[in-house]
Amino acid sequence: MRAVRLLALPALLVLLWWAVSGSSFYLPSPLRVGQAFAETWFSERLTDDVLPSVGRLLMGYAAAGLLGVGLGVPIGSSPRLRATLEPVLEFFRAIPPPVLVPLIMLLAGIDTPMKVLVIVSGCLWPILLNTVEGVRALDEVLADTCRMYGVRGLARLRRLVLPGAAPQIMTGLRQALSIGIILMVISEMFASSSGLGFTIVLFQRQFQIAEMWSGILLLGLLGLGLSALFRRVERRVLSWYYGSGAARA
Amino acid sequence: MLEISALNKAYQSPGRRVEAIRSITLGVGAGELVCVVGPSGCGKTTLLRCVAGLLPASGGEVRLDGVPVTGPPPRMAVVFQEYGRSLFPWMTVRQNVELPLKEKRVPAARRRELVTGSLEAVGLADAADAHPWQLSGGMQQRVAIARAVAYEPQVLLMDEPFAAVDAQTRADLEDLILRLWRDLEVTTLFVTHDIDEAVYLGQRVIVLSSSPTEVMEDLKIDLPPGRDQLTTRSLPRFGELRGHVYRQIQRARGER
Amino acid sequence: MTRTGGPARDSARDSARASARDSARASARARLGHGLAGLGGLLALMEAVPRLGLVDERFLPPASRILTTLAGELATPALWIALGETMRGWALGLALAFCAAVVAGVVIGTVPGLRAMTSSTVEFLRPIPSVALVPLATLLFGPSLGSTMLLVVYAAFWQVLIQVLYGVAAVDSVAHDTARTYGLSAWSRVRHLVWPTALPYVMTGLRLAATVAFILAVTAELVIGSPGLGAEIQVAQSSGAVPVVYALIVLAGLVGIAVNAGVRLLERRVLAWHPAVRSEVAA
Repeated sequence: MRAVRLLALPALLVLLWWAVSGSSFYLPSPLRVGQAFAETWFSERLTDDVLPSVGRLLMGYAAAGLLGVGLGVPIGSSPRLRATLEPVLEFFRAIPPPVLVPLIMLLAGIDTPMKVLVIVSGCLWPILLNTVEGVRALDEVLADTCRMYGVRGLARLRRLVLPGAAPQIMTGLRQALSIGIILMVISEMFASSSGLGFTIVLFQRQFQIAEMWSGILLLGLLGLGLSALFRRVERRVLSWYYGSGAARA
Repeated sequence: MLEISALNKAYQSPGRRVEAIRSITLGVGAGELVCVVGPSGCGKTTLLRCVAGLLPASGGEVRLDGVPVTGPPPRMAVVFQEYGRSLFPWMTVRQNVELPLKEKRVPAARRRELVTGSLEAVGLADAADAHPWQLSGGMQQRVAIARAVAYEPQVLLMDEPFAAVDAQTRADLEDLILRLWRDLEVTTLFVTHDIDEAVYLGQRVIVLSSSPTEVMEDLKIDLPPGRDQLTTRSLPRFGELRGHVYRQIQRARGER
Repeated sequence: MTRTGGPARDSARDSARASARDSARASARARLGHGLAGLGGLLALMEAVPRLGLVDERFLPPASRILTTLAGELATPALWIALGETMRGWALGLALAFCAAVVAGVVIGTVPGLRAMTSSTVEFLRPIPSVALVPLATLLFGPSLGSTMLLVVYAAFWQVLIQVLYGVAAVDSVAHDTARTYGLSAWSRVRHLVWPTALPYVMTGLRLAATVAFILAVTAELVIGSPGLGAEIQVAQSSGAVPVVYALIVLAGLVGIAVNAGVRLLERRVLAWHPAVRSEVAA
């Protein structure tokens, strides 16, 4: 019964797709897209285009995470620093990250460093600002408890600050992940000769429509996979948070 | 043991100064259990935070064993009213109790002993691996008490610890405190707004005026030491003392 | 504050409250001062770094030149036309996505069984990055408003839909039963029960969607070349007009801030009666 519920609508949609696919040059049949998918991506493109793209994404994402949390903790801990930097940070967050691509190309060329830098420059702000907010909002009673029992320095960071701010940090990381995927694709659509984004645009220019659709499908699967992975990690890291019902409050 | 002399606390803001505590002088002898009561909003919590070294005083001083308190002293433990917020939700009960001991660099074997002992003492030996939010309010406050006890403090401060639990649980916890205090002979300063609780627990009861706060009375509680919810509370002397403190507090409220 | 106030004497309480107000005002002033100092510091840094030769002026023009370039650009009608194009794509796409998502969300959320039926599809389609649709948009619409709209609508739709679904699910079941006992029709249930409950969620969705929509509007222009701010940046970059690139990026940031502020203002207005907003304002 559950399986029927889960699969009924997707099956219906695929059937619909099948039914209308003959009518348009731009919409090949699901079978044709499936074939293209297997031929295109289970080849050297996987190692030449897909994996390097994902690698750059993870590299930039990790760097933004370290940088965002590393800067967010001191900024969030000091009211004065926070008041000084908050407008500046809000401004940087408000800049749509893709517009930085032309700029970063200017500064860092068109190779891997540029692409990673683009991802970092977009992922950093949501992580940083959410960390600042999380650290600022640490529970005062817990902070007092730490002071009373002499929990300070590194232990305070590890036992109080990071876990206490973790729900907010995870929110920032979740926002950053979707921005990171967008930037991974866009950075490769500009003046690039490899990568997932480049390949998909190439198919489009050469009117390889089924291949193009298979690329869209792959990006969708990638987005789905990464967000599912993220949710698992989040459930694990924040098990206490969901358990305590704080998430619902 | 604990000397509070001419303590004054004022909150400063540009162009204005609000005096929360005018002047408080009181002492707590070694091994004594002293309760502080006062009308609500009289700065009890401010007093306790100054004594704990969490809040700098504006004037006067607090001395522990002759040493002025400028920050949280190493051998002092506090049980806060907000039990739900004083326990780390990402740690188990055992980890919560153990954390301060780790910071004190107590060796592992001794640590285990202290944690187990204190959890047994508060009747939570079975809940060691639970997370605080899986426990009831009263049990959570027991964990906070166990953590304070395991820390082996010279002085135990309690800030309206039972204000947020139901009446039945409250009576149990009061007796738990009396038992721990008798067994461990730990000097205790217990802040409460509940007159019955103050008279039932304290060897002395300090009655505070309303804000800006001063000490109105330092009352010796001459009830027999082996106290118990039923017999002690039905003694005529208990009623007299309670009535006396009640009148004092009414006076404090009326005056201001 | 309650610690210093208390029910003691009215004048003492009033003075405590007044001083709290004073200090809140003073701290707001101090925050503003700090914030301005921060922005000033950023400008000074961006002025000093190229002037001192730490970074080549060709790559990072001094802040003063960026700002004068921006002022110069703002004096040209072309820029305003481009900005207008961007905002049109943003507003139309957002409006379309919002309406579609609200209708879809309320229907899916209130019709029994539909939520379970659609959840797997929603969960599959939602994480698909909307830039994956760039090639499709290029094929279908070329560099035009249509491309911008396709990306904006796709990205914004899910943000609103998910929040609407949360909102509809948050309707108290007791309230629901009450409404049914009193024989409210399906339409008035939606109107008087579901919609007010879901409204805060809907506004959250709108806020998130507005930001995402702006990002995607600019992206479409940048990548596909639909007319607008993004296309201007692309043109400036390929013609090597570095100060213009910077000036337009600053402009994009300012517009982004305006979008955020505008939606937040709207959210407050619409939800003025809601406890979450009321306490937020009081705090």
